[in-house]
Amino acid sequence: MNKKSIFFKDSAFKYLVGGSSLIVVAFFVMIFVMLAVRSYPSMANDPLMIFGSTWDVNSGLYGGIPAILGTLASSAIAVALAVPISLGMSVFFTEYAPRRVRAALSIVIDMLATIPSVIFGIWGLWIVAPLVKTYVQDPIVGSIGFIPLFSGPAYGLSLFLASLVLTFMIVPIISSLTISLLSTTPVELREAMISLGATRWEVVRHVALPFSKLGIFASIILALGRALGETMAVTMVIGNSFIWPFSSISLFSPASTITSKIASELYEAVDVLHVSSLVELGLILLVITLLVNSSARLVITRISRRNASG
Amino acid sequence: MATKLVTERLSAWFGKKQVLKDISIAFEERQVTALVGPSGCGKSTFIRCLNRMHELNPGARVEGKAFLDGIDIYGMDPMDVRRKIGMVFQKPNPFPNMSISDNVVAGIKLSGEKSKADLDAIVERTLKSVGLYDEVKDDLRRSGASLSGGQQQRLCIARALAMEPEVILMDEPTSALDPASTSRIEDLIRKLKSEITVIIITHNVGQAARISDKTAFLYLGELIEYNDTKEFFESPKSPITERYITGRFG
Amino acid sequence: MIVSRRTKEKLIIAALVALTGAAVVPLFWIIGSIVWNGISVMSLEFLTSLPAPFGSSGGGIGNAILGTLIINLFASGLGIPLGILTGIYLAEYAHDSRMGSAVRTIVESLSGVPSLVIGLFAFTLIVLSFRHYTGVAATLALGIMMIPLVAKATEESMRVVSDDLREAGMALGIPKYNITTRIVLSMAKGGVISGSLLAFARISGETAPLLFTALFSFYWPTGIDQPMATLQVLIYNYAISGFADWVAKAWGASLLLVLLVITINVAVRYLGRKKYGGA
Repeated sequence: MNKKSIFFKDSAFKYLVGGSSLIVVAFFVMIFVMLAVRSYPSMANDPLMIFGSTWDVNSGLYGGIPAILGTLASSAIAVALAVPISLGMSVFFTEYAPRRVRAALSIVIDMLATIPSVIFGIWGLWIVAPLVKTYVQDPIVGSIGFIPLFSGPAYGLSLFLASLVLTFMIVPIISSLTISLLSTTPVELREAMISLGATRWEVVRHVALPFSKLGIFASIILALGRALGETMAVTMVIGNSFIWPFSSISLFSPASTITSKIASELYEAVDVLHVSSLVELGLILLVITLLVNSSARLVITRISRRNASG
Repeated sequence: MATKLVTERLSAWFGKKQVLKDISIAFEERQVTALVGPSGCGKSTFIRCLNRMHELNPGARVEGKAFLDGIDIYGMDPMDVRRKIGMVFQKPNPFPNMSISDNVVAGIKLSGEKSKADLDAIVERTLKSVGLYDEVKDDLRRSGASLSGGQQQRLCIARALAMEPEVILMDEPTSALDPASTSRIEDLIRKLKSEITVIIITHNVGQAARISDKTAFLYLGELIEYNDTKEFFESPKSPITERYITGRFG
Repeated sequence: MIVSRRTKEKLIIAALVALTGAAVVPLFWIIGSIVWNGISVMSLEFLTSLPAPFGSSGGGIGNAILGTLIINLFASGLGIPLGILTGIYLAEYAHDSRMGSAVRTIVESLSGVPSLVIGLFAFTLIVLSFRHYTGVAATLALGIMMIPLVAKATEESMRVVSDDLREAGMALGIPKYNITTRIVLSMAKGGVISGSLLAFARISGETAPLLFTALFSFYWPTGIDQPMATLQVLIYNYAISGFADWVAKAWGASLLLVLLVITINVAVRYLGRKKYGGA
């Protein structure tokens, strides 16, 4: 092989990998461009309509606020439920569990993260929904149903059920990150606390958790990003109705999210305005999730810099 | 002179490896006892058996007895043992997420019995006793991690003293410090023994000679020699001890 | 006071166990209900035949199984090479250049884009343009989803290869592309393969990007440019239909899908680990 052909092959390979990377960049840019182009009819028709409160295909009204609020509310509730479960499991894992239990728990976390969304959906729809209606919603509606947030009737399929199913889907995200953070707590700080007569929990509470709090915060934000974009499970259990939040604020009402709306309506949408309003909702979701994810990444970058310098 | 802390045939293992062999020793009350010996001789493991921290290592095991004022340490609650027997570590380890004053009372706060005023008084008193108060009094709220290495180590000693322990264990507390900070801490240790029993590990025989009343020499997990410091250095009984203190190994 | 700290410790352990249970129980519950409900419909006919005409019993999900495999294979054909090349770029060529950090940020951002949105992109680009639901759009969406997963696995496993090897190669006068492909990539091969398999498993479960791209079909696939049934969409359609026979088939399809996804994961994570020293 002569020098010239080596040089040629060397730069050809460089252009191949560089070019492939640029194709990936192009895909990313095109996602924005295409969604913007296809939501143009809706934006041109009435730029503010997507922020209206009524979505009524028959009257040509495409107000996305109930779906946007549904996305935010279901994700926020799911995060609120997932945080104690994940932190509790992570602390149990790193501080108390014997080695065999730890091995079993890490399989559980892997599996939870692996199960497809649509499987959570069929389980939520056919197994959990009737039980939640009978054993959670009915008793609560019967006792404190006068509070609008818990008023009836209980449908089973509801904002509450969607949040509950989402919870189990994001637990592995928070847990796996939190476990790796807690297990890197410097041993000299742990020992300092133990030498002062602290119980295991006190070591966690005063040393391990404060040490990891920034990273735990980042993992929660990442989980929020995942919850915002979750589609199948939510679509199957939320009831896809826009009763919530304007007709009824109750957590037990059927509701909709951006994802459930797109998943359940797009394939049968014929009206250009309908299609482009759904695409516009997707664009809003894209922007929200990118903001959320990049802020989580910012925090994570800061932590890895701190760890690299410390 | 009363004995404070006694071990009887104390042995310890990491997994299958025995690191301490039948150590029997009696520590005098309100005296400074230095533990010397080449690295890996089991000094650290030994004092970690005294406040029951050795058993926290996976696979660690302890046999034999240890008594604090005649009471079996291994029959007590480990948390109580550690409150009575404080510890200072080789590397200064203030809690980076806590202020100077919170570091001092970190252990006391756990039991939650003291009022804010009591805690403030403890902070002031213990920081004064380690000679740190005047250096930091202007801003007790800043992080303990912002102090210099020597100051951090004195803060850690204050943190241990605030618990009002009866015994304090020190694991090479000056090995990470500069000579000036080292000499301040040596002064402090000499002062401490008026109130407290001090057991200090040092890899520096000069330091043992300067600050301790008695010196014990550990070699390969065994107690070779234990005597008054003066005797220990002037007329060592064992040839191994002599070789060690004259710097011919380790 | 000491006593109450002891009691507190016990209460906290109880709470931690309960919270751990709150995550463990649903997993076993999900797997249990899928096996329980899915196993009864399993048969050779179920796995190999077309759906029976509506109203008559029997029939199967053969076309959906085939559809998922076809779409996954084409998506892998797009996503795995692009992912590996991008990973090579990030590991060996990007350094601290501006293009390098831009590519890295975008690859990371891409992995956070909801799968539904990527499906929406394929819909707007292909389905709306050609006014036709097609497996091609599904392939594009799933292929894009694979890129960041494969790229990250490739980059990480190439980075752990010691620089000494690269320098030794340089010192021998071996050109960089040869060092990269023959030495570094061949040492990183295990990580690249497991990353690609995990990406394959991941897209096998993805449903949202298929709903309005490949759509669904009751017939055998005739071409990648046609609407196609997939296991994932079948589970969704059948589960929400409410017809007992369809719901039962949705459980059967779920069992199959979970078996596929879990088998790949177990193989890569627990068997592959021994061979490659960490996935």
